[in-house]
Amino acid sequence: MNYLWAGLIIISLLSAVGQDISDELNNRWLNGQTIHARLSQNELGEVLIQLPKQQLYAHWQGQQLQLKPDQNLPPHWQNIAAQQDTKTPLRLSITPKGQQNGSVQLVLPEVHHVRLKAITEAAFDMAKFGVKLALGLAGIMALWLGLMRIAEQSGLIKKLVWLVRPLLAPLFPDVPKDHPAFGSISLNLTANLLGLGNAATPMGIRAMQQLQELNQNKKEASDAMCMFLALNTSSVQLLPPVTLIALLGAQSGELILPIILATLASTTAAIIAAKLYARRGKAS
Amino acid sequence: MSFFSSLILPLLIVAIIVYGLLKKVPVYEEFVIGAKEGFATAVQIIPNLVAILFAIGMFRASGAMEFIATLLAPLFELIGFPSELLPMAIFRPLTGSGSVAILAELIQTHGEESLIVKMAAIMFGSTETTFYVIAVYFGAIGVHKIRYAVQAGLIADFAGMAAAVTVGYWFFG
Repeated sequence: MNYLWAGLIIISLLSAVGQDISDELNNRWLNGQTIHARLSQNELGEVLIQLPKQQLYAHWQGQQLQLKPDQNLPPHWQNIAAQQDTKTPLRLSITPKGQQNGSVQLVLPEVHHVRLKAITEAAFDMAKFGVKLALGLAGIMALWLGLMRIAEQSGLIKKLVWLVRPLLAPLFPDVPKDHPAFGSISLNLTANLLGLGNAATPMGIRAMQQLQELNQNKKEASDAMCMFLALNTSSVQLLPPVTLIALLGAQSGELILPIILATLASTTAAIIAAKLYARRGKAS
Repeated sequence: MSFFSSLILPLLIVAIIVYGLLKKVPVYEEFVIGAKEGFATAVQIIPNLVAILFAIGMFRASGAMEFIATLLAPLFELIGFPSELLPMAIFRPLTGSGSVAILAELIQTHGEESLIVKMAAIMFGSTETTFYVIAVYFGAIGVHKIRYAVQAGLIADFAGMAAAVTVGYWFFG
């Protein structure tokens, strides 16, 4: 995990620097290029820019012309506008020569190290998003863990454990046979099965907490945890996830059977992989 | 099917509470005790979420994925894995929202009826955002040495993706 995580970050920086250097060398943003145009002003104070193929309206701002980025800009201008904040207007500077008859040379703003800016921004944005996500999860977690608590106290979980034990016990040899962890594990897997993502997470976390109580070495993942994670991330899906239904609509119906088959394959692979890793860990 | 799926959650909630009442459990007090724990856990996973999400965000913004995809494309075409699906395959274990965006883009360029979109949808439906799940689940219990959890999860994802393509050819090819 350490290497994977650090790898993602390092690769991001290298890739961003590489692309920015290549952009700079190829002058992808056509920095410093001048564009020939004719300018005229109407009585409303708007400036009409006449390009070889297009006409655009702009406003004076000091020595610059301002264009709203949502206007019908030429493709290259749109790319440049897309690199700045969507609300800031695209500013064109005018080189003074050739001002007779309203014909001028326009210079677009220069664009540099786009990717480096993008990864910096993404890092901060996603850090903020992480907190937002967790706080959104807090309410759902509180709801489900509250309900789980009632189910545990009333003995409902015990009944569930009795029901699913024959199925799950072979996968989790280290978990005592009447342990409530089997209940949370089965609830989590059932929620996954039915595509109920936001009910699955709280129950999965409860299961992890119960497995942690059984864990010998509190700082290291146990075999049972790894098996549970593998099952969870590969779990069989009977109903397609809600997002898929939203994107594909009625079409998602014909995907149900293929998805079940594909998840059967991945669940099998997950069980075999986790079992083999566990055996290798015990042998050494 | 859709009636069933909209019924199941409210029914489960009511069933848990009614069963608790029948067994004379002080349902309100017990709910609050559990909810308190749930809230604390959600706060506890924030550092892990930030750590994983910012790294994934950087990776996504860096354009490294497009680069890797172009490098790997000929290799995957060789075994019959359409190269259009590579971004999906690379991003699916990393980010849920990112892979939704990729799927939406595929629908736009190839059309809902295309084989590529069907394969991508099967892939999306049959695999999970492994890294997110691992960050959240292990973050919640404060375990940082996670041994082979990532490998086992990725092996399962890989099997799921290979199966998605195979099943896609099989059903719609």
